[in-house]
Amino acid sequence: MTAATHKLAELDDVTVQHILGRRDRRLTFLTFAAILGVWTAVTGSGLWEPLIRPMFLPSPVAVAETFWQLLQTGYQGRSLAHHVAVSLYRFATAFLICILVGVPVGLLMGTSRRIRAVVEPPIQAIRPIPKLALLPLFLIWFGIGNLSKIIVIAAPVFPLIAISSMQAVRSVSAKKIQAAQSLGASRFTIFRRILLPASLPGIFTGIRVSISIGVTMLVGAELTATSDGIAWMALTAAEYLMTNVVLVAVLIMALLGYGLDRLFLLIETSIVHWTGKD
Amino acid sequence: MMIEPIDLRQPRHGTPPKLQVEQLSKSFGSSSGSVQALAPFDLSVEAGDFLCVVGPSGCGKTTLLNIVAGFESPTSGSVYVDGKPVTGPGADRGVVFQQGALFNWMTILDNVAFGPRSTGFSQSVARQKAMELLELVGLSAFAKKYPYQLSGGMQQRVGIARALANNPQMLLMDEPFAALDQQTRELLQEEIRSIWQRTNKTILWITHSIEEALLLATHIIVMTARPGRTKASFVSPFARSSDPHVASSMEFAAAKRTIFQLLRGEAKQAQQMEEVP
Repeated sequence: MTAATHKLAELDDVTVQHILGRRDRRLTFLTFAAILGVWTAVTGSGLWEPLIRPMFLPSPVAVAETFWQLLQTGYQGRSLAHHVAVSLYRFATAFLICILVGVPVGLLMGTSRRIRAVVEPPIQAIRPIPKLALLPLFLIWFGIGNLSKIIVIAAPVFPLIAISSMQAVRSVSAKKIQAAQSLGASRFTIFRRILLPASLPGIFTGIRVSISIGVTMLVGAELTATSDGIAWMALTAAEYLMTNVVLVAVLIMALLGYGLDRLFLLIETSIVHWTGKD
Repeated sequence: MMIEPIDLRQPRHGTPPKLQVEQLSKSFGSSSGSVQALAPFDLSVEAGDFLCVVGPSGCGKTTLLNIVAGFESPTSGSVYVDGKPVTGPGADRGVVFQQGALFNWMTILDNVAFGPRSTGFSQSVARQKAMELLELVGLSAFAKKYPYQLSGGMQQRVGIARALANNPQMLLMDEPFAALDQQTRELLQEEIRSIWQRTNKTILWITHSIEEALLLATHIIVMTARPGRTKASFVSPFARSSDPHVASSMEFAAAKRTIFQLLRGEAKQAQQMEEVP
Protein backbone atom coordinates (compact mmCIF):
# COMPACT_ATOMS: atom_id res chain seq x y z
CA MET A 1 0.00 0.00 0.00
CA THR A 2 1.42 3.35 -0.99
CA ALA A 3 1.40 6.34 1.31
CA ALA A 4 -1.36 7.94 -0.72
CA THR A 5 -3.77 5.00 -0.56
CA HIS A 6 -2.90 4.61 3.10
CA LYS A 7 -4.03 8.15 3.62
CA LEU A 8 -7.24 7.45 1.70
CA ALA A 9 -8.02 4.49 3.93
CA GLU A 10 -8.20 6.73 6.97
CA LEU A 11 -10.84 8.94 5.43
CA ASP A 12 -14.56 8.33 5.34
CA ASP A 13 -16.34 7.31 2.14
CA VAL A 14 -17.71 10.73 1.24
CA THR A 15 -14.31 12.38 1.48
CA VAL A 16 -12.71 9.60 -0.55
CA GLN A 17 -15.35 9.97 -3.24
CA HIS A 18 -14.71 13.69 -3.24
CA ILE A 19 -10.96 13.30 -3.67
CA LEU A 20 -11.36 10.65 -6.38
CA GLY A 21 -13.89 12.88 -8.13
CA ARG A 22 -11.37 15.73 -8.10
CA ARG A 23 -8.72 13.45 -9.60
CA ASP A 24 -11.14 12.36 -12.34
CA ARG A 25 -11.91 15.97 -13.13
CA ARG A 26 -8.21 16.77 -13.34
CA LEU A 27 -7.82 13.95 -15.90
CA THR A 28 -10.77 15.27 -17.91
CA PHE A 29 -9.25 18.74 -17.88
CA LEU A 30 -5.93 17.32 -19.08
CA THR A 31 -7.66 15.59 -22.01
CA PHE A 32 -9.11 18.88 -23.20
CA ALA A 33 -5.79 20.64 -22.64
CA ALA A 34 -4.07 18.00 -24.79
CA ILE A 35 -6.59 18.42 -27.62
CA LEU A 36 -6.12 22.18 -27.49
CA GLY A 37 -2.34 21.68 -27.46
CA VAL A 38 -2.35 19.50 -30.58
CA TRP A 39 -4.73 21.91 -32.29
CA THR A 40 -2.43 24.83 -31.51
CA ALA A 41 0.63 22.90 -32.67
CA VAL A 42 -0.71 21.88 -36.07
CA THR A 43 -2.21 25.28 -36.85
CA GLY A 44 0.76 27.31 -35.69
CA SER A 45 -1.37 30.00 -34.03
CA GLY A 46 0.66 32.66 -35.82
CA LEU A 47 3.87 31.58 -34.07
CA TRP A 48 5.14 29.18 -36.71
CA GLU A 49 4.25 27.91 -40.16
CA PRO A 50 0.98 25.94 -39.87
CA LEU A 51 0.92 22.25 -40.82
CA ILE A 52 -2.71 22.56 -41.86
CA ARG A 53 -3.81 25.62 -43.80
CA PRO A 54 -6.23 27.96 -41.97
CA MET A 55 -8.83 27.42 -44.66
CA PHE A 56 -9.10 23.82 -43.53
CA LEU A 57 -8.45 24.28 -39.82
CA PRO A 58 -8.01 27.75 -38.32
CA SER A 59 -5.99 28.04 -35.12
CA PRO A 60 -7.73 28.22 -31.72
CA VAL A 61 -6.61 31.86 -31.47
CA ALA A 62 -8.23 32.68 -34.83
CA VAL A 63 -11.43 30.91 -33.77
CA ALA A 64 -11.47 32.89 -30.50
CA GLU A 65 -10.95 36.11 -32.44
CA THR A 66 -13.77 35.23 -34.83
CA PHE A 67 -16.00 34.49 -31.86
CA TRP A 68 -15.19 37.88 -30.37
CA GLN A 69 -15.83 39.58 -33.68
CA LEU A 70 -19.16 37.77 -34.19
CA LEU A 71 -20.18 38.81 -30.69
CA GLN A 72 -19.66 42.45 -31.58
CA THR A 73 -20.80 42.65 -35.19
CA GLY A 74 -23.09 39.64 -35.49
CA TYR A 75 -23.49 37.46 -38.57
CA GLN A 76 -25.33 38.48 -41.75
CA GLY A 77 -27.10 41.38 -40.14
CA ARG A 78 -28.17 39.63 -36.95
CA SER A 79 -26.42 39.34 -33.61
CA LEU A 80 -24.81 36.08 -32.52
CA ALA A 81 -27.18 36.04 -29.53
CA HIS A 82 -30.10 36.15 -31.96
CA HIS A 83 -28.85 33.13 -33.89
CA VAL A 84 -28.27 31.18 -30.71
CA ALA A 85 -31.65 32.21 -29.28
CA VAL A 86 -33.54 31.24 -32.44
CA SER A 87 -31.93 27.79 -32.51
CA LEU A 88 -32.47 27.34 -28.80
CA TYR A 89 -36.12 28.31 -29.24
CA ARG A 90 -36.65 25.74 -32.01
CA PHE A 91 -34.82 23.06 -30.09
CA ALA A 92 -36.41 23.77 -26.71
CA THR A 93 -39.97 23.99 -28.06
CA ALA A 94 -39.60 20.69 -29.90
CA PHE A 95 -38.06 19.08 -26.85
CA LEU A 96 -40.62 20.41 -24.42
CA ILE A 97 -43.48 19.14 -26.59
CA CYS A 98 -41.78 15.75 -26.84
CA ILE A 99 -41.39 15.51 -23.07
CA LEU A 100 -44.85 16.85 -22.25
CA VAL A 101 -46.58 14.52 -24.73
CA GLY A 102 -44.10 11.66 -25.14
CA VAL A 103 -43.63 10.85 -21.46
CA PRO A 104 -47.38 10.57 -20.67
CA VAL A 105 -48.00 8.60 -23.87
CA GLY A 106 -45.14 6.25 -22.96
CA LEU A 107 -46.41 5.87 -19.41
CA LEU A 108 -49.89 5.02 -20.66
CA MET A 109 -48.48 2.53 -23.16
CA GLY A 110 -46.50 0.91 -20.37
CA THR A 111 -49.52 0.70 -18.07
CA SER A 112 -52.33 -0.33 -20.39
CA ARG A 113 -52.02 -3.12 -22.93
CA ARG A 114 -54.95 -1.74 -24.91
CA ILE A 115 -53.45 1.72 -25.27
CA ARG A 116 -50.20 0.08 -26.22
CA ALA A 117 -51.92 -2.01 -28.89
CA VAL A 118 -53.35 1.17 -30.41
CA VAL A 119 -50.44 3.60 -30.10
CA GLU A 120 -47.27 1.56 -30.32
CA PRO A 121 -47.51 0.06 -33.84
CA PRO A 122 -47.79 3.44 -35.63
CA ILE A 123 -44.92 4.85 -33.55
CA GLN A 124 -42.76 1.81 -34.32
CA ALA A 125 -43.70 1.98 -37.99
CA ILE A 126 -42.70 5.64 -38.28
CA ARG A 127 -39.50 5.21 -36.27
CA PRO A 128 -37.21 3.79 -39.01
CA ILE A 129 -38.10 6.53 -41.52
CA PRO A 130 -35.20 9.02 -41.76
CA LYS A 131 -36.91 12.18 -40.56
CA LEU A 132 -34.67 14.47 -42.56
CA ALA A 133 -36.18 12.94 -45.69
CA LEU A 134 -39.53 14.24 -44.52
CA LEU A 135 -38.31 17.84 -44.28
CA PRO A 136 -39.53 18.78 -47.80
CA LEU A 137 -42.92 17.33 -46.90
CA PHE A 138 -42.97 19.24 -43.61
CA LEU A 139 -42.13 22.42 -45.50
CA ILE A 140 -45.15 21.88 -47.76
CA TRP A 141 -47.43 20.97 -44.87
CA PHE A 142 -46.32 23.39 -42.18
CA GLY A 143 -44.77 26.23 -44.17
CA ILE A 144 -41.30 27.68 -44.08
CA GLY A 145 -41.71 29.18 -40.61
CA ASN A 146 -40.54 27.80 -37.30
CA LEU A 147 -43.29 25.18 -37.13
CA SER A 148 -41.79 22.91 -39.79
CA LYS A 149 -38.40 23.17 -38.06
CA ILE A 150 -39.83 22.34 -34.66
CA ILE A 151 -41.63 19.34 -36.15
CA VAL A 152 -38.56 17.97 -37.90
CA ILE A 153 -36.64 18.14 -34.62
CA ALA A 154 -39.51 16.58 -32.67
CA ALA A 155 -40.10 13.80 -35.22
CA PRO A 156 -37.24 11.48 -34.16
CA VAL A 157 -37.17 12.65 -30.52
CA PHE A 158 -40.82 11.92 -29.75
CA PRO A 159 -40.82 8.16 -30.46
CA LEU A 160 -37.55 7.78 -28.60
CA ILE A 161 -38.91 9.44 -25.46
CA ALA A 162 -42.27 7.68 -25.69
CA ILE A 163 -40.77 4.22 -26.22
CA SER A 164 -38.15 4.63 -23.50
CA SER A 165 -40.83 5.84 -21.06
CA MET A 166 -42.90 2.79 -21.91
CA GLN A 167 -39.93 0.49 -21.36
CA ALA A 168 -39.23 2.23 -18.06
CA VAL A 169 -42.72 1.46 -16.79
CA ARG A 170 -42.64 -2.07 -18.06
CA SER A 171 -39.36 -2.82 -16.31
CA VAL A 172 -40.61 -1.83 -12.85
CA SER A 173 -40.12 -4.94 -10.73
CA ALA A 174 -43.27 -7.03 -10.34
CA LYS A 175 -42.44 -7.48 -6.66
CA LYS A 176 -42.80 -3.78 -5.96
CA ILE A 177 -46.18 -3.68 -7.66
CA GLN A 178 -47.29 -6.81 -5.82
CA ALA A 179 -46.11 -5.33 -2.53
CA ALA A 180 -48.22 -2.23 -3.16
CA GLN A 181 -51.23 -4.33 -4.16
CA SER A 182 -51.01 -6.39 -0.99
CA LEU A 183 -50.83 -3.17 1.03
CA GLY A 184 -54.23 -2.20 -0.32
CA ALA A 185 -53.17 0.36 -2.91
CA SER A 186 -55.64 1.25 -5.67
CA ARG A 187 -54.62 1.21 -9.33
CA PHE A 188 -54.30 4.97 -9.29
CA THR A 189 -52.13 4.95 -6.15
CA ILE A 190 -49.92 2.28 -7.72
CA PHE A 191 -49.52 4.40 -10.81
CA ARG A 192 -48.78 7.61 -8.92
CA ARG A 193 -46.66 6.32 -6.06
CA ILE A 194 -45.00 3.21 -7.57
CA LEU A 195 -44.92 3.13 -11.38
CA LEU A 196 -44.27 6.82 -11.90
CA PRO A 197 -41.34 7.28 -9.50
CA ALA A 198 -39.88 3.85 -10.29
CA SER A 199 -39.76 4.64 -14.00
CA LEU A 200 -38.20 8.10 -13.60
CA PRO A 201 -34.59 6.86 -14.01
CA GLY A 202 -35.47 5.21 -17.33
CA ILE A 203 -37.37 8.30 -18.50
CA PHE A 204 -34.38 10.52 -17.75
CA THR A 205 -32.07 8.18 -19.65
CA GLY A 206 -34.38 8.39 -22.65
CA ILE A 207 -34.42 12.18 -22.51
CA ARG A 208 -30.67 12.45 -22.22
CA VAL A 209 -30.06 10.06 -25.13
CA SER A 210 -32.40 12.08 -27.33
CA ILE A 211 -30.64 15.40 -26.65
CA SER A 212 -27.83 14.56 -29.08
CA ILE A 213 -30.36 13.46 -31.69
CA GLY A 214 -32.25 16.72 -31.18
CA VAL A 215 -29.09 18.77 -31.77
CA THR A 216 -28.36 16.73 -34.91
CA MET A 217 -31.85 17.42 -36.19
CA LEU A 218 -31.36 21.13 -35.50
CA VAL A 219 -28.75 21.15 -38.25
CA GLY A 220 -31.19 19.42 -40.58
CA ALA A 221 -33.96 21.82 -39.66
CA GLU A 222 -31.84 24.84 -40.53
CA LEU A 223 -30.61 23.41 -43.83
CA THR A 224 -33.13 25.33 -45.90
CA ALA A 225 -35.88 27.92 -45.72
CA THR A 226 -34.36 30.03 -42.99
CA SER A 227 -32.05 33.00 -42.58
CA ASP A 228 -31.07 32.63 -38.98
CA GLY A 229 -30.06 30.03 -36.43
CA ILE A 230 -26.71 28.73 -35.29
CA ALA A 231 -26.70 25.69 -37.62
CA TRP A 232 -27.72 27.90 -40.56
CA MET A 233 -24.76 30.09 -39.65
CA ALA A 234 -22.39 27.11 -39.94
CA LEU A 235 -23.96 25.94 -43.21
CA THR A 236 -23.84 29.33 -44.95
CA ALA A 237 -20.36 30.13 -43.66
CA ALA A 238 -19.15 26.85 -45.16
CA GLU A 239 -20.35 27.98 -48.59
CA TYR A 240 -17.91 30.91 -48.38
CA LEU A 241 -15.19 28.72 -46.82
CA MET A 242 -15.27 30.79 -43.61
CA THR A 243 -14.00 27.82 -41.65
CA ASN A 244 -13.47 29.83 -38.48
CA VAL A 245 -17.15 30.88 -38.40
CA VAL A 246 -18.15 27.26 -39.02
CA LEU A 247 -16.00 26.19 -36.08
CA VAL A 248 -17.48 28.83 -33.77
CA ALA A 249 -21.00 27.64 -34.65
CA VAL A 250 -20.07 23.98 -34.24
CA LEU A 251 -18.48 24.65 -30.86
CA ILE A 252 -21.56 26.56 -29.73
CA MET A 253 -23.77 23.61 -30.77
CA ALA A 254 -21.47 21.17 -28.98
CA LEU A 255 -21.63 23.33 -25.89
CA LEU A 256 -25.41 23.50 -26.17
CA GLY A 257 -25.72 19.71 -26.33
CA TYR A 258 -23.22 19.20 -23.54
CA GLY A 259 -24.82 21.86 -21.35
CA LEU A 260 -28.28 20.39 -21.78
CA ASP A 261 -26.99 16.90 -21.01
CA ARG A 262 -25.35 18.17 -17.81
CA LEU A 263 -28.50 20.06 -16.89
CA PHE A 264 -30.66 16.95 -17.19
CA LEU A 265 -28.05 14.88 -15.35
CA LEU A 266 -28.21 17.43 -12.53
CA ILE A 267 -32.00 17.29 -12.44
CA GLU A 268 -31.83 13.51 -12.62
CA THR A 269 -29.41 13.03 -9.75
CA SER A 270 -31.31 15.45 -7.54
CA ILE A 271 -34.70 13.81 -8.19
CA VAL A 272 -33.81 10.14 -8.61
CA HIS A 273 -31.11 9.84 -5.96
CA TRP A 274 -32.00 6.17 -5.42
CA THR A 275 -31.24 5.00 -8.95
CA GLY A 276 -28.96 1.99 -9.31
CA LYS A 277 -28.98 1.36 -5.56
CA ASP A 278 -31.51 -1.43 -5.42
CA MET B 1 -40.91 -32.91 22.82
CA MET B 2 -41.19 -34.38 19.34
CA ILE B 3 -42.71 -33.45 16.04
CA GLU B 4 -45.90 -35.43 15.47
CA PRO B 5 -47.53 -36.25 12.13
CA ILE B 6 -50.80 -34.41 11.64
CA ASP B 7 -53.33 -34.11 8.84
CA LEU B 8 -53.43 -30.47 7.75
CA ARG B 9 -55.78 -30.94 4.83
CA GLN B 10 -59.02 -30.57 6.74
CA PRO B 11 -60.03 -27.96 9.34
CA ARG B 12 -59.09 -29.17 12.80
CA HIS B 13 -61.66 -27.17 14.76
CA GLY B 14 -65.36 -27.06 14.06
CA THR B 15 -65.21 -23.44 12.87
CA PRO B 16 -64.02 -22.32 9.42
CA PRO B 17 -60.24 -22.07 9.43
CA LYS B 18 -58.29 -18.87 8.85
CA LEU B 19 -57.01 -20.18 5.53
CA GLN B 20 -58.46 -23.00 3.52
CA VAL B 21 -56.87 -24.23 0.32
CA GLU B 22 -59.01 -26.67 -1.66
CA GLN B 23 -57.82 -28.87 -4.53
CA LEU B 24 -55.49 -26.13 -5.64
CA SER B 25 -53.45 -26.76 -8.77
CA LYS B 26 -51.39 -24.56 -11.00
CA SER B 27 -49.87 -25.18 -14.41
CA PHE B 28 -47.68 -22.79 -16.31
CA GLY B 29 -48.06 -22.90 -20.05
CA SER B 30 -45.12 -22.42 -22.33
CA SER B 31 -44.40 -23.02 -26.00
CA SER B 32 -42.83 -26.39 -25.19
CA GLY B 33 -45.89 -27.57 -23.29
CA SER B 34 -47.26 -26.85 -19.86
CA VAL B 35 -45.52 -27.51 -16.57
CA GLN B 36 -47.54 -28.43 -13.55
CA ALA B 37 -46.19 -26.54 -10.56
CA LEU B 38 -48.77 -27.56 -8.00
CA ALA B 39 -50.64 -30.84 -7.90
CA PRO B 40 -54.13 -30.66 -6.43
CA PHE B 41 -53.24 -29.41 -3.00
CA ASP B 42 -55.30 -29.15 0.19
CA LEU B 43 -54.35 -27.16 3.25
CA SER B 44 -56.06 -25.83 6.30
CA VAL B 45 -54.48 -23.23 8.57
CA GLU B 46 -56.12 -22.23 11.84
CA ALA B 47 -55.93 -18.72 13.29
CA GLY B 48 -52.69 -18.23 15.21
CA ASP B 49 -50.88 -21.08 13.44
CA PHE B 50 -47.34 -20.52 12.29
CA LEU B 51 -47.10 -22.77 9.26
CA CYS B 52 -43.79 -23.36 7.56
CA VAL B 53 -43.68 -24.91 4.10
CA VAL B 54 -40.41 -26.61 3.25
CA GLY B 55 -39.65 -28.31 -0.03
CA PRO B 56 -37.04 -28.75 -2.74
CA SER B 57 -36.48 -25.82 -5.07
CA GLY B 58 -39.02 -25.56 -7.83
CA CYS B 59 -41.65 -27.52 -5.88
CA GLY B 60 -44.23 -24.78 -6.09
CA LYS B 61 -43.89 -23.30 -2.56
CA THR B 62 -43.72 -19.79 -3.91
CA THR B 63 -46.55 -20.49 -6.35
CA LEU B 64 -48.69 -21.55 -3.38
CA LEU B 65 -47.88 -18.32 -1.55
CA ASN B 66 -48.49 -16.19 -4.64
CA ILE B 67 -51.91 -17.74 -5.11
CA VAL B 68 -52.83 -17.23 -1.44
CA ALA B 69 -51.60 -13.64 -1.74
CA GLY B 70 -53.76 -13.20 -4.84
CA PHE B 71 -50.85 -12.37 -7.18
CA GLU B 72 -51.53 -15.42 -9.34
CA SER B 73 -54.76 -17.22 -10.05
CA PRO B 74 -54.97 -21.00 -9.71
CA THR B 75 -55.54 -23.31 -12.66
CA SER B 76 -58.14 -25.13 -10.60
CA GLY B 77 -59.30 -25.19 -7.00
CA SER B 78 -59.84 -22.30 -4.64
CA VAL B 79 -58.46 -20.44 -1.66
CA TYR B 80 -60.58 -19.09 1.21
CA VAL B 81 -59.54 -16.64 3.88
CA ASP B 82 -62.00 -16.46 6.77
CA GLY B 83 -64.42 -18.41 4.59
CA LYS B 84 -64.30 -15.86 1.76
CA PRO B 85 -62.76 -16.76 -1.60
CA VAL B 86 -59.54 -14.99 -2.54
CA THR B 87 -59.93 -13.09 -5.82
CA GLY B 88 -56.88 -10.82 -5.71
CA PRO B 89 -54.34 -9.18 -3.44
CA GLY B 90 -55.72 -7.53 -0.35
CA ALA B 91 -54.71 -5.63 2.76
CA ASP B 92 -55.97 -8.51 4.95
CA ARG B 93 -52.88 -10.52 3.95
CA GLY B 94 -49.53 -8.86 4.60
CA VAL B 95 -46.72 -10.08 2.34
CA VAL B 96 -43.00 -10.02 3.10
CA PHE B 97 -40.76 -10.69 0.12
CA GLN B 98 -37.26 -12.10 -0.02
CA GLN B 99 -35.55 -8.93 -1.18
CA GLY B 100 -35.89 -5.87 -3.36
CA ALA B 101 -39.54 -5.12 -2.73
CA LEU B 102 -39.04 -1.91 -0.76
CA PHE B 103 -39.87 1.37 -2.45
CA ASN B 104 -36.42 2.93 -3.00
CA TRP B 105 -37.83 6.39 -3.66
CA MET B 106 -39.54 6.64 -0.29
CA THR B 107 -38.05 7.05 3.15
CA ILE B 108 -38.27 4.11 5.53
CA LEU B 109 -41.10 5.89 7.31
CA ASP B 110 -43.10 6.38 4.11
CA ASN B 111 -42.47 2.78 3.07
CA VAL B 112 -44.11 1.59 6.27
CA ALA B 113 -46.80 4.29 6.11
CA PHE B 114 -47.70 3.25 2.54
CA GLY B 115 -50.22 0.60 3.67
CA PRO B 116 -52.22 2.77 6.09
CA ARG B 117 -52.05 5.65 3.61
CA SER B 118 -53.44 3.40 0.85
CA THR B 119 -56.23 2.07 3.05
CA GLY B 120 -57.62 5.50 3.81
CA PHE B 121 -55.71 6.95 6.74
CA SER B 122 -54.46 10.53 6.66
CA GLN B 123 -50.77 11.20 6.13
CA SER B 124 -50.19 12.09 9.79
CA VAL B 125 -52.05 9.06 11.20
CA ALA B 126 -50.33 6.76 8.72
CA ARG B 127 -46.92 8.13 9.68
CA GLN B 128 -47.73 7.78 13.35
CA LYS B 129 -48.66 4.11 12.86
CA ALA B 130 -45.49 3.62 10.83
CA MET B 131 -43.39 5.15 13.57
CA GLU B 132 -44.84 2.74 16.13
CA LEU B 133 -43.98 -0.20 13.90
CA LEU B 134 -40.48 1.09 13.27
CA GLU B 135 -40.06 1.17 17.04
CA LEU B 136 -41.31 -2.41 17.21
CA VAL B 137 -38.57 -3.55 14.80
CA GLY B 138 -35.98 -1.22 16.36
CA LEU B 139 -35.54 1.11 13.41
CA SER B 140 -37.15 4.35 14.60
CA ALA B 141 -33.76 6.09 14.39
CA PHE B 142 -33.69 5.35 10.64
CA ALA B 143 -37.14 6.69 9.77
CA LYS B 144 -35.77 9.43 7.52
CA LYS B 145 -33.28 7.18 5.69
CA TYR B 146 -33.84 5.51 2.34
CA PRO B 147 -33.83 1.72 1.86
CA TYR B 148 -30.49 1.72 0.04
CA GLN B 149 -28.86 3.33 3.07
CA LEU B 150 -29.72 0.29 5.22
CA SER B 151 -28.15 -3.15 5.56
CA GLY B 152 -29.92 -6.23 4.19
CA GLY B 153 -31.14 -7.26 7.64
CA MET B 154 -32.51 -3.81 8.36
CA GLN B 155 -34.26 -3.76 4.99
CA GLN B 156 -36.03 -7.01 5.84
CA ARG B 157 -37.11 -5.50 9.16
CA VAL B 158 -38.60 -2.60 7.23
CA GLY B 159 -40.37 -5.14 5.01
CA ILE B 160 -41.83 -6.83 8.09
CA ALA B 161 -42.90 -3.51 9.64
CA ARG B 162 -44.49 -2.49 6.33
CA ALA B 163 -46.44 -5.74 6.12
CA LEU B 164 -47.63 -5.29 9.71
CA ALA B 165 -48.73 -1.69 9.21
CA ASN B 166 -52.23 -2.58 7.99
CA ASN B 167 -52.56 -4.90 10.98
CA PRO B 168 -53.40 -7.90 8.78
CA GLN B 169 -54.44 -11.06 10.61
CA MET B 170 -52.36 -13.13 8.24
CA LEU B 171 -48.75 -12.75 7.14
CA LEU B 172 -47.34 -14.42 4.05
CA MET B 173 -43.57 -14.64 4.05
CA ASP B 174 -41.61 -15.89 1.05
CA GLU B 175 -38.17 -16.91 2.31
CA PRO B 176 -37.75 -13.50 3.89
CA PHE B 177 -34.39 -14.28 5.47
CA ALA B 178 -32.85 -16.41 2.72
CA ALA B 179 -30.49 -13.68 1.53
CA LEU B 180 -29.21 -12.73 4.99
CA ASP B 181 -26.10 -13.91 6.80
CA GLN B 182 -26.40 -16.45 9.62
CA GLN B 183 -26.17 -14.04 12.57
CA THR B 184 -28.64 -11.56 11.15
CA ARG B 185 -30.99 -14.38 10.28
CA GLU B 186 -30.92 -15.77 13.83
CA LEU B 187 -31.62 -12.36 15.33
CA LEU B 188 -34.52 -11.76 12.98
CA GLN B 189 -35.90 -15.24 13.62
CA GLU B 190 -36.04 -14.38 17.32
CA GLU B 191 -37.73 -11.10 16.50
CA ILE B 192 -40.36 -12.64 14.27
CA ARG B 193 -41.02 -15.26 16.93
CA SER B 194 -41.65 -12.63 19.56
CA ILE B 195 -43.83 -10.58 17.18
CA TRP B 196 -45.87 -13.70 16.42
CA GLN B 197 -46.20 -14.57 20.11
CA ARG B 198 -47.32 -11.05 21.02
CA THR B 199 -49.70 -10.46 18.12
CA ASN B 200 -51.01 -14.00 17.57
CA LYS B 201 -50.98 -13.55 13.77
CA THR B 202 -51.48 -16.45 11.40
CA ILE B 203 -48.29 -16.91 9.44
CA LEU B 204 -47.60 -18.80 6.23
CA TRP B 205 -43.84 -19.02 5.89
CA ILE B 206 -41.97 -20.43 2.90
CA THR B 207 -38.44 -21.59 3.58
CA HIS B 208 -35.88 -24.11 2.47
CA SER B 209 -34.22 -24.15 5.88
CA ILE B 210 -35.37 -27.08 8.04
CA GLU B 211 -33.85 -25.47 11.11
CA GLU B 212 -35.76 -22.25 10.52
CA ALA B 213 -38.98 -24.21 10.12
CA LEU B 214 -38.47 -26.13 13.36
CA LEU B 215 -37.50 -23.02 15.26
CA LEU B 216 -40.46 -20.90 14.17
CA ALA B 217 -43.34 -23.09 13.14
CA THR B 218 -46.18 -24.68 15.04
CA HIS B 219 -46.94 -26.68 11.90
CA ILE B 220 -44.64 -27.85 9.12
CA ILE B 221 -45.50 -29.12 5.67
CA VAL B 222 -42.89 -30.98 3.64
CA MET B 223 -43.63 -30.74 -0.06
CA THR B 224 -42.74 -33.17 -2.83
CA ALA B 225 -40.77 -32.29 -5.94
CA ARG B 226 -42.72 -30.80 -8.83
CA PRO B 227 -45.68 -30.98 -9.10
CA GLY B 228 -45.81 -29.97 -5.44
CA ARG B 229 -48.07 -31.83 -3.09
CA THR B 230 -47.89 -32.62 0.61
CA LYS B 231 -45.35 -35.30 1.37
CA ALA B 232 -45.75 -35.10 5.14
CA SER B 233 -47.08 -32.65 7.69
CA PHE B 234 -46.20 -32.23 11.34
CA VAL B 235 -47.14 -30.32 14.43
CA SER B 236 -43.96 -28.95 16.01
CA PRO B 237 -43.47 -28.05 19.67
CA PHE B 238 -40.23 -26.06 19.48
CA ALA B 239 -41.67 -22.66 18.55
CA ARG B 240 -43.57 -22.45 21.84
CA SER B 241 -40.59 -23.54 23.88
CA SER B 242 -39.17 -21.02 26.32
CA ASP B 243 -35.74 -22.67 26.23
CA PRO B 244 -33.37 -20.34 24.35
CA HIS B 245 -31.11 -23.30 23.54
CA VAL B 246 -33.87 -25.46 22.17
CA ALA B 247 -32.10 -25.69 18.83
CA SER B 248 -29.22 -27.62 20.40
CA SER B 249 -31.45 -30.19 22.10
CA MET B 250 -31.49 -33.88 21.18
CA GLU B 251 -35.16 -33.71 20.24
CA PHE B 252 -34.52 -30.84 17.87
CA ALA B 253 -31.73 -32.76 16.18
CA ALA B 254 -33.96 -35.83 15.85
CA ALA B 255 -36.76 -33.76 14.30
CA LYS B 256 -34.29 -32.17 11.93
CA ARG B 257 -33.10 -35.58 10.83
CA THR B 258 -36.65 -36.78 10.23
CA ILE B 259 -37.46 -33.87 7.94
CA PHE B 260 -34.05 -33.94 6.31
CA GLN B 261 -34.56 -37.53 5.25
CA LEU B 262 -37.97 -36.74 3.83
CA LEU B 263 -36.56 -33.80 1.87
CA ARG B 264 -33.46 -35.55 0.59
CA GLY B 265 -35.29 -37.90 -1.72
CA GLU B 266 -37.40 -35.06 -3.07
CA ALA B 267 -34.43 -32.80 -3.60
CA LYS B 268 -32.69 -35.53 -5.60
CA GLN B 269 -35.76 -35.99 -7.72
CA ALA B 270 -36.03 -32.24 -8.25
CA GLN B 271 -32.41 -32.14 -9.36
CA GLN B 272 -32.97 -34.91 -11.91
CA MET B 273 -35.95 -33.00 -13.31
CA GLU B 274 -33.75 -29.98 -13.79
CA GLU B 275 -31.08 -32.01 -15.55
CA VAL B 276 -33.55 -33.65 -17.95
CA PRO B 277 -35.60 -30.83 -19.33
